[in-house]
Amino acid sequence: MTILLKQLFALIKLLNSDTGTNQIAAGFACGLILGFAPLLSLQGLLVLVCIFLFRIQIGAALLSAAFFAVIAWLLDPLSDAVGSAILEADALRPVFTTLYNMPLIPLTRFYNSITMGAGVVSLLLAPLVFWGSKKLILVYRTKVVERFRNSQWWKLWSGTVLFKWYVNYEKLRG
Amino acid sequence: MKNSADKAIPAARPTPRNKGPIRFEAIVPLAIVIGVLALYFTLFFDAHLRRALEYGATSANRAEVDIGKLDTSLWHASVMIGNIEMTDPAQPGRNRVQIGSIDFRMLWDALLRGKVVINEASINDVQIDTPRKSAGRVLPVKAGGDGSGYGNKILAQMKEEFSGNVLGDLAAIAAGANPREQLASMGDDLKSSAQITALEKSLDEKKQQWQSRIAALPKAGDFTALQRRLSGVKLDNLQDVAQIQSSLQELAAIRTDFDAKSKPVRDATSTLGSDLAAGKESLSGLDKIVSEDVRSLQARMHLPSLDTRTLSRALFGMDVLGKVQQAHGYMEQARSYMPVKGEKKTAAPVRARSSGHDYAFGRTNSYPRFWLRKALISSRLQGGASALSGQILDVSTDQSLVGRPMVATIKGDFPQQGISGVRAELVINHLTSVPIERLSMEVAQYGVAGRSLVSSPSVELGFAQAEGSAKFSAQLRGDNVDVLMANQFSKVAFETKAQSDVVREMMNASLSGLNSVNLDAHVSGTWSNLDWKLSTNIADALERGMRRYLQGKMDEARARIAAMVNGKIAEQRKRMYARQAEIESSLKSALAERQAQVDKLRAELDAARDKLEERKKAFLGAQQDKLKQGSDKLLDNLRKKF
Repeated sequence: MTILLKQLFALIKLLNSDTGTNQIAAGFACGLILGFAPLLSLQGLLVLVCIFLFRIQIGAALLSAAFFAVIAWLLDPLSDAVGSAILEADALRPVFTTLYNMPLIPLTRFYNSITMGAGVVSLLLAPLVFWGSKKLILVYRTKVVERFRNSQWWKLWSGTVLFKWYVNYEKLRG
Repeated sequence: MKNSADKAIPAARPTPRNKGPIRFEAIVPLAIVIGVLALYFTLFFDAHLRRALEYGATSANRAEVDIGKLDTSLWHASVMIGNIEMTDPAQPGRNRVQIGSIDFRMLWDALLRGKVVINEASINDVQIDTPRKSAGRVLPVKAGGDGSGYGNKILAQMKEEFSGNVLGDLAAIAAGANPREQLASMGDDLKSSAQITALEKSLDEKKQQWQSRIAALPKAGDFTALQRRLSGVKLDNLQDVAQIQSSLQELAAIRTDFDAKSKPVRDATSTLGSDLAAGKESLSGLDKIVSEDVRSLQARMHLPSLDTRTLSRALFGMDVLGKVQQAHGYMEQARSYMPVKGEKKTAAPVRARSSGHDYAFGRTNSYPRFWLRKALISSRLQGGASALSGQILDVSTDQSLVGRPMVATIKGDFPQQGISGVRAELVINHLTSVPIERLSMEVAQYGVAGRSLVSSPSVELGFAQAEGSAKFSAQLRGDNVDVLMANQFSKVAFETKAQSDVVREMMNASLSGLNSVNLDAHVSGTWSNLDWKLSTNIADALERGMRRYLQGKMDEARARIAAMVNGKIAEQRKRMYARQAEIESSLKSALAERQAQVDKLRAELDAARDKLEERKKAFLGAQQDKLKQGSDKLLDNLRKKF
């Protein structure tokens, strides 16, 4: 729980800073894939490993995974239809037969209509979410954060000793 | 990672260090997580898996299942489960089956494909009916019966039928139960009485309907008017054809009006006849309901039929039903876990995640989801000699992929339980579109001690001791059932207990000289319509013996019930018949008057028409003669001229 909260605070901090736009956007995109995938699946594990190994904002990924899991649940009938259509396509049958009989690949549960449908939908939506969230973050920083920093209240607060101590602490901490 | 938009923000704040795309600082936490996982699998996984297996097996067995030991090896993909004890739900102090150990090793090749394939498993030291150290927990039976399927409902109905205490009821009659006292409190809710009330109501309704219909029929005055018009038609002193034709036309007009007015009368007369006949038929159905009342009261008074069929069902019906229920349960499980070839997958409700439809893209020689190729069953005596051996072949979730049916065979003895000559073969063939499950089992000898056949307050009957042998075969093909059972008990010593001396004497006399008992059962048909044929020589002996003591009493009791039912409804019945006769005669007479008027007028119309037709014919004949005479005269004149 502490780790989760820490990641969420890190997300808020990064969101309000000037850097890490790509990290946060990648986090949202990965969260989308994670949320659409079954809880225990090979692809879910792979995305998690990517989140941990690459500099992707973990808080953003986990938060969006929880959000997109609800969206995925609502979209299950659509995913089922899309997945069924793909899995029943005659042209793709040889590919699926090969994949089905390969080691490790069946652990993705790609042969399930909802998993396949949700997987395809999430892969199609991931670039859109990445670019979309990037744009939204920039808009947020220019419109909301800047206005907040220019407010009287913030100026008053940033002039206090307590705030200066905090800034020094952050500098030292890196 | 920075972009042009970032430049718009003032650079007064501290800039973080530029870290690479890889999170190197995560390696240590990741290593810790892997270490913790490894530690968990080494120290706790086996215990947790054992608990989970115990929980699942207990749910399936409906009684506690204990696993003594469980060892897994990730490296070898092997599992060893030791000392499995499955509690018998009927006797929680004993184990249904106890297995010394089960060892198997899964193929990594299959595991990496998300499938479980076991080349060979060994099931060792199988014993049945062993004592437990402490009584096992039995799960409560779920509300709503044994299942929700149609077959389950039918079996539940049969259970209700077989679980009646027929022999106890017979013994109670023999002991002198007085049916008169019981009868005094019954008979207020007779179906026949309610039926008579309903019939009376329906008679009144019918009477009203007919009265309003008769009132709506053309009145007597309408027909009198027609008669007046008829008397005005000129039938005599007609001078020429034109006058005759005019009268005929007038007559036809009256006839048309008459037909229109008489049709409802004619229809009503014929409908009343059929309606009254239907009413009489429904009254005759009353006798059937009276018989039902008599039967129902007999059942409520626990007055059973004294015949071998009823007695056979009472003695062994529950045993046979238990076997059929078991077969049904195993069949449902087999068909659920080993789907039939070409079976259409039913669409799962798409609400929970991870549901949807699974598609199989298996090739020949590829693995099914689960496949136990071979399991060897063995059990050895203390000296090392084999007591039990058998094998299970090709248990798989997709038989069409494996290409072979599941076959399980077992033969041997259970010396500790005194059971010898056990042979069993189970074949589950789901390779074809119609699933087939076949089980044949034979037990050459087994000891029976203290087996109760009947247990009621008035009488108890059972085997104190006997030697049994049994043959059982079941073939389930699609929805068709064919179960055969043949049990033979020899060296039988009966144990009878009864409160009444008469009953004890009756039971002893019935069963004296009976040293062997056989039971033959044949259950066939479909799950929705099973035909149960049970026969046993113990039922024959009891029927013969008990008839001597009971027939008179039972006949008397039956006659008393019939008399009581008839007496209760006699007055009501008489009143209803009288009412029916009265309604019938009043309706018939009301219609008969109108019908007589119609008939009379019709006859008059017919007579008038005939008379006019005759006149017309005679008139035309006379004119023809006159013309002929004129033409003859003309011809003669011509001849004379030439």
